[in-house]
Amino acid sequence: MSSAEWLLIGLLAVASYGVRLAGLIGGRAIAVNPRLKPFLDDLPGCLVVGLVASSLAGAPMVTWLAAMVALAVAIASNNVVVTMAAGLAAIVLGHYLAGL
Amino acid sequence: MIISYSRGMKQGFLSILPLAAGAALYGFAFGVLAAQIGFPWWGVALMSGVVHAGSSQIVAVEQFGSHGFVLGAVLAGAALNLRYLGIIASLSEVLRDVPLRVKLLAIHITGDENWALTMARRAHDPAIGAPFLIGSGLTMITVWVTSTSAGALIGGAIPDLEGYGLGFAFTAAFIAMARAMWRGQRMVLPWAVTFVVTLGLVQAGMGAAYAIVLGSLVGVLMAQMRRAHRGETA
Repeated sequence: MSSAEWLLIGLLAVASYGVRLAGLIGGRAIAVNPRLKPFLDDLPGCLVVGLVASSLAGAPMVTWLAAMVALAVAIASNNVVVTMAAGLAAIVLGHYLAGL
Repeated sequence: MIISYSRGMKQGFLSILPLAAGAALYGFAFGVLAAQIGFPWWGVALMSGVVHAGSSQIVAVEQFGSHGFVLGAVLAGAALNLRYLGIIASLSEVLRDVPLRVKLLAIHITGDENWALTMARRAHDPAIGAPFLIGSGLTMITVWVTSTSAGALIGGAIPDLEGYGLGFAFTAAFIAMARAMWRGQRMVLPWAVTFVVTLGLVQAGMGAAYAIVLGSLVGVLMAQMRRAHRGETA
């Protein structure tokens, strides 16, 4: 592995355990802090939506359509693996149809 | 005491198996994607063992693969894990009487699935406690490390799948994560704002890692303003 990959794993491990340790030591005080609670509640969801937006920025129409299929399947199934499979199937089919 | 402890662990181990099967599929898919980005199977195994956070790993690996920016990838992955502050905090009763070294292990092997199962069972049966959490947690981390490594072994052996649109599997995974985090109408405004702002910033040429953080912060701000406007408390 490259040094960047080692660094990624190491830092992510430290950050991940750090959050858990903070939860163990001061968790209740942090989790119910009226200033921090809304931020902790809202940030993860917004980040995931931001990730979707950044991966769709500048993408071709077929990717947007596949994203809509994935969204519909996600709403119906609420299952990560089913959504990934449906999204992949949609984009492969989309590329195939676009190439006809 | 020892007998009841091992019985509790065994109960946790058995009860979590259906949820572990679901996590194994997700882990396998993550392993394939990580291998396609260039991680060896043992690197994926190491990451799964020492990080043990599915959504964090998938976000960090995707960001790293797309932009090669380690700190941005770590921050994005870690921010997604902030929910563990609340999850671990809620275990204070469950872990109250266990030794410190067991606590330090228990918080690492706790994931969404075994935490939720432990809390749900405990609500009906107060005898469910640390042994159940630890038994189910050991199952989850073992399944997670094994399934992600197996995915990486397969993913590393097959040719470049990016041409088939495999990268889109990440986008689909993010869409599914958002669905799981949906908590009703109040998410519409902050999420719509985050989506539009992030999209606009990336289109305008800003680096994706910065655009995601900035877009998300604007979304969080909108959620706060909406609450203040309605006089709600969080």
